[in-house]
Amino acid sequence: MSVLTAYVVVVGLVVAGTLYTPGFSGIGQLRTYAVQASFIGLVGLGQTLCILTGGIDLSVPAVITGSAVMTSILCHGDSARLAPVIVLVVCLAAVAGVVNGIGVAYANVPPIIMTLGMGGVVQGLMLVYTKGGISSFPPPALARFVVGRTLGVPHLLWFWAAIIATGAVLLAVTPFGRRLYAIGANREAALIAGVDVRRMLVAPYVVSAVGAAVTGVLLMGYNGQAYLTMGDPYLFASAAAVAVGGASILGGSGNYVGTVAGALVLTVLSALLIVFSLGAGWLLITYGAVLLTAALLASVRVQRR
Amino acid sequence: MGGSALRATVRVPRLPRPDVVTAIPYAYIAALSLAIYLLEPSLLTGPGAFDVLATAVVPLALVAFGQTIAIITRGIDLSVGGVVSTTTAILATHGGTSGPTVVGQVVLVVAIGVLAGVINGLLVAFTPLQPFIVTLATWSIWGGIAFLVLPIEGGAPAPELITWLTGAWLGVPRSVVVVAGLLVAWLWLRSTRFLIDVRAIGSDEARARLVGVPIRMRKIQVYALSGALAAVAGVYLAAQTGSGAPNAGDQFILNSVAAVVIGGASIFGGTGSAAGSIVGAAVLILIPDVVFALRLTSFWSVFLQGFVLVVTVTISSVVITLRMRRRRGAG
Repeated sequence: MSVLTAYVVVVGLVVAGTLYTPGFSGIGQLRTYAVQASFIGLVGLGQTLCILTGGIDLSVPAVITGSAVMTSILCHGDSARLAPVIVLVVCLAAVAGVVNGIGVAYANVPPIIMTLGMGGVVQGLMLVYTKGGISSFPPPALARFVVGRTLGVPHLLWFWAAIIATGAVLLAVTPFGRRLYAIGANREAALIAGVDVRRMLVAPYVVSAVGAAVTGVLLMGYNGQAYLTMGDPYLFASAAAVAVGGASILGGSGNYVGTVAGALVLTVLSALLIVFSLGAGWLLITYGAVLLTAALLASVRVQRR
Repeated sequence: MGGSALRATVRVPRLPRPDVVTAIPYAYIAALSLAIYLLEPSLLTGPGAFDVLATAVVPLALVAFGQTIAIITRGIDLSVGGVVSTTTAILATHGGTSGPTVVGQVVLVVAIGVLAGVINGLLVAFTPLQPFIVTLATWSIWGGIAFLVLPIEGGAPAPELITWLTGAWLGVPRSVVVVAGLLVAWLWLRSTRFLIDVRAIGSDEARARLVGVPIRMRKIQVYALSGALAAVAGVYLAAQTGSGAPNAGDQFILNSVAAVVIGGASIFGGTGSAAGSIVGAAVLILIPDVVFALRLTSFWSVFLQGFVLVVTVTISSVVITLRMRRRRGAG
C-alpha cells in the first residue's frame, strides 16, 4: 500500500461509516479519531525507525504502562510535580531504550528477543513498584492539557503535528534519516559507505522507548487513570500502523507520514467496530488482520521492484 | 567454510560440544536450587516437592519444545500466547460436561492449535514475511478470539480434565511422566529426517534448498507442531489453574523463548535441543520459588524471568558471534 492509498483508505472508511450512521463523520467525531490516532502515531514513530532498520520493539506495551503508572503514583494528583516526574519517566524509558539498542547493535541480539526480554524486565519492575494495583488519578494540569484546545484544535494534535513534521524531516532530509534507510536496505553496504552502523542502530530503540513513555503519560491523562493493561494494544497497533504506512517489514523502506496514515486507518476501523457494537476481541483480531494484510501487500510491492 | 548445510543433512547428529552456552542451563539450575535449598529447603525436599515442580514445568516445557524447533529453523512463534489463551478460554467456558465430551473438547482445542500452526506455517513458507511478523499478527488474532470466547478471567474446565491430568500413574506423578515423555520424544525426534532438515534450514536455507530439503513442507510442519503443543499446554494450564483468562497465554511467549535461549539453542538458527529447553523451562519455574524463599513479592518473578532472558541471550549472542567470526577467520 502506498502512502497515498493509505490516506484514500482512511477517507473511504470514514465515508463508509457515514453511510451507515450519519453521525460518524461529525466534526467532534473526526477530532476524537485524530486524538486517538495520535497515541498510536506517537508510539509509531519509534516503531517506524525500528522496522526501517529491520528490527521491531516489543517492549512498548510495558514502557507505556510503566510510564503511565509511575507518573500517576509519583505525581499523586499534584500538578507541581508533573514536570520533574515526566523528565524522570522519560529518562528511565531512555535507559530501557539504550539497553535495547546496545543489545541489538553491539551484542548482536535479534531485536525481537532483546525487546521481548526488556518488556518483561520493565513490566516486572512496574509490578514490583505498584504491587499489582494502582489507585490514582492524573494531576489536573495533565488532564487539562490533554483535553484542552488552542484555536479549536486539541493540544494533543498540535503536539502530534510537531512530531509528524520532525519525524518526516528527520527521515527525509537529515543525514541521520538517510543513514537509517541505508542500514535498513543493506547493512554491509552502509558499513562500507562509512556509516557507524552500531551507533546508529541504538537510536531507533531510544526514540521508541521515549515515544512510548510520552504516550503513556498522555494516555493516562486522556483516560483519567492508569491501569496495568493500558499499553497492551499498542504493540499490535503500532506495528500494524507502520505496515499500513507501506514500510516493508523486510526493512529499508517506509516513512513516518505513512505510519500516520496507518494510525488513522486503525483508529477509524476501531470506531467502525464500535458502530457495529463489536468489542475488544474484534479490535485485536482487526489489528492482527490489518498487520498481516498490509505486510503482505508491502512485501509484494518490494518483490516486484 | 564449505558445505555446512550439506554436512548438516548427511551427518549423524553429534552430541553438543561442551562450552559456555551448553553449560548455562545447568549453571542456572545449580545456582537456583542451591539458593532455594539454603533459604527454604522444604520447597525442594518436602513431600511431593518434585511433583509440584514437575507439574508447574509441564505447560512451559510443552510450549518451549515447539518454540525450540521454530527457533532452530531461524524462526520464532509468538502466536503461542494467543493459542494458549484461546485453548484455556474454550475449556473454561465449556466445563459443564463429562466423559466423551471432554475428550472431544481436548481433540477440538488441539485441532485448533494445529490449524493455527498450519496457518502460520503456510504464511511463513509461501510469503516473504518473516516469522516474527506473521506470528505477531496471529498472536493478536488468537488473543482476540480468546477475548471473544471468555472476556474476563474465570470459568471452570470440566472436572475430569483435572483428575486426568493431575495425580499419579502407579505411584509416579503424571506430570513427571509427561516431562519424561517429552525428553524421550526429543531423543527420538532429533535423529529423524525431519529434524535434520530443520537444522539444515536454520543453518543455511539456500544450501538446504540446493540439497533438496522440502523447505515449505518442513516449515508448515514446524509451526503446526508448535501450535499443537501450545494447545496441549493450554489444556494443562486450564486443568492446573481450574479457570481460563483471555490473556492467560501471554506469559508463555517470553518464558518459552527464554527457556529455549537458556537451553542453549542458537538464536541464529541451526542448533538447539528441546531437552535443553526443558531444563531451561525448569530454570524459569524455579525463579518464583527463589523469589518466595527470599520473602519477596511474587512480582519479582516477572522481572527476573525477563532479566534472565536478557542476560542469557546477550551472553549467548556474543559467544556465538565470536565463534562464528573465529570460524570465518580460520576458514
